[in-house]
Amino acid sequence: MNRNSQVGISLSAAVSQVAGDMREIAVRVSGSKGRHGSGTVWRPGLIVTNAHVANSQVHDVEFAAGMRARGRLVARDRELDLAALAVSTAFTRIADIRSASHLRAGEVVLALGNPFNGRGSITTGIVHCPVGKSPWIIADIRLAPGYSGGPLAETSGAVIGINSMIVGPLGYAITSDAVEEFLSRFHLSEAA
Amino acid sequence: MPSTLAEFSEQLANTVERAGQSVVSILEGGRTGVSGTVWREGFGVAVNHTIHGLEDVTVILPSGKETKASVTGRDPGIDIAILKLPTETPAAVLSDDSSARTGEIVLSVGRRGTGGLAATYGLISAIGGPWRTSSGGRVDRWFRLDLNPFPGFSGGSIINAGGEVLGIATSGPGRSAAVVPASTVSRIVDQLLKHGRTVRGYIGIGVQPVAFPEDAWQKLGISGGRGLLIIAVAPGSAATEAGLMLGDVIVAIDGKTLQSGASLQSILDSENVGKSVSLDVVRGGQLLKVAVTVREKPAS
Repeated sequence: MNRNSQVGISLSAAVSQVAGDMREIAVRVSGSKGRHGSGTVWRPGLIVTNAHVANSQVHDVEFAAGMRARGRLVARDRELDLAALAVSTAFTRIADIRSASHLRAGEVVLALGNPFNGRGSITTGIVHCPVGKSPWIIADIRLAPGYSGGPLAETSGAVIGINSMIVGPLGYAITSDAVEEFLSRFHLSEAA
Repeated sequence: MPSTLAEFSEQLANTVERAGQSVVSILEGGRTGVSGTVWREGFGVAVNHTIHGLEDVTVILPSGKETKASVTGRDPGIDIAILKLPTETPAAVLSDDSSARTGEIVLSVGRRGTGGLAATYGLISAIGGPWRTSSGGRVDRWFRLDLNPFPGFSGGSIINAGGEVLGIATSGPGRSAAVVPASTVSRIVDQLLKHGRTVRGYIGIGVQPVAFPEDAWQKLGISGGRGLLIIAVAPGSAATEAGLMLGDVIVAIDGKTLQSGASLQSILDSENVGKSVSLDVVRGGQLLKVAVTVREKPAS
């Protein structure tokens, strides 16, 4: 068998597997104004999403298995475009979080979300440039409205950021480090 | 197992890092800085129009060191300029772009100011033959890339999966990413380093395309009916010496009938300088042959 075709097949299988893992830690978030986006299960009972997705006090949160819960807004930072929702359901997998500081240009990243009323769409790309001191991961990845608030992960499925913005052909995600800092600012960090 | 994906990711990042060892940042270029690629030891290549009018530029080397570099040569036809760089930065590993295949993975590697390497990922979506830029430069191969451009990517390297440089990144039509193939860049770099300039042919005429009515071209016994009407003749030029006149219509070059959209560019390539070209010309309803010797284009 052709060696190249083997590489192609195993790569796509690997992408599907990571996508499957990511779907379990991603949710669909709908606000009162009829808009929807995505969210990431950051800790038991805590969903992280974008401030522009969480635009009301209470949200409908739908988990991958179809389970629904009420998400109550507990923190919001419009400037950073981050929000946290508390849900009473804790029986879901939570994201494996990893710092974005080690990322190198060219590393493969995956984004999962709910664009165009879809559920659990996956898209892949690469890290565009190292993060440095910025709260942003810039990736060469094709995001669309609806990916907002969903996880950006490295190839292991570990979450390194929250998809937030499209700038030209590039996708911007808020680093996991900035999310942790945001959560601790609102006393929502793990230790609390 | 996702390990295949992790390996792929690791290899991509390694490839970008390695290619980045020959990619520099040019702070003054473009609006927010551009990139350059070390082509030969001590010489870098940039996209000419991005550093238009600059004699010296500030360069950030892969080591992080900031240095001044002088622009030692320009080829506006291919839109490439050469910079004199310190020899400490290794030259890029070049690919044989004639063996590139449609569907191959390519990466655009640039360096953005002091912010380090930047990359985008894509593939070669089509490959075509030689073509000419709007300023007449001959590019040996045409690549259509499915690849996102990014601010400052011009002058950086477009590399293949093996990390070899396919060519220099530049912007194409409609804000697309385009590439000047390595073979073309090397040809221009050789000329610039040898002569300090690129040699272009010149015969000293200005032309405009015209079409003969069918009965006229049948009467003259020429096929196609396309021609180039001479609307300007430079005094003292090869054209004047050969006796070409205003109003002459060129219908064939070296016995080859002009096709639609044809131009004289093909006879002006550097290798034709000093050679004689035979033109079929229609003058006063008669077909005649005129021999012109291509000269080197004087500096403008």
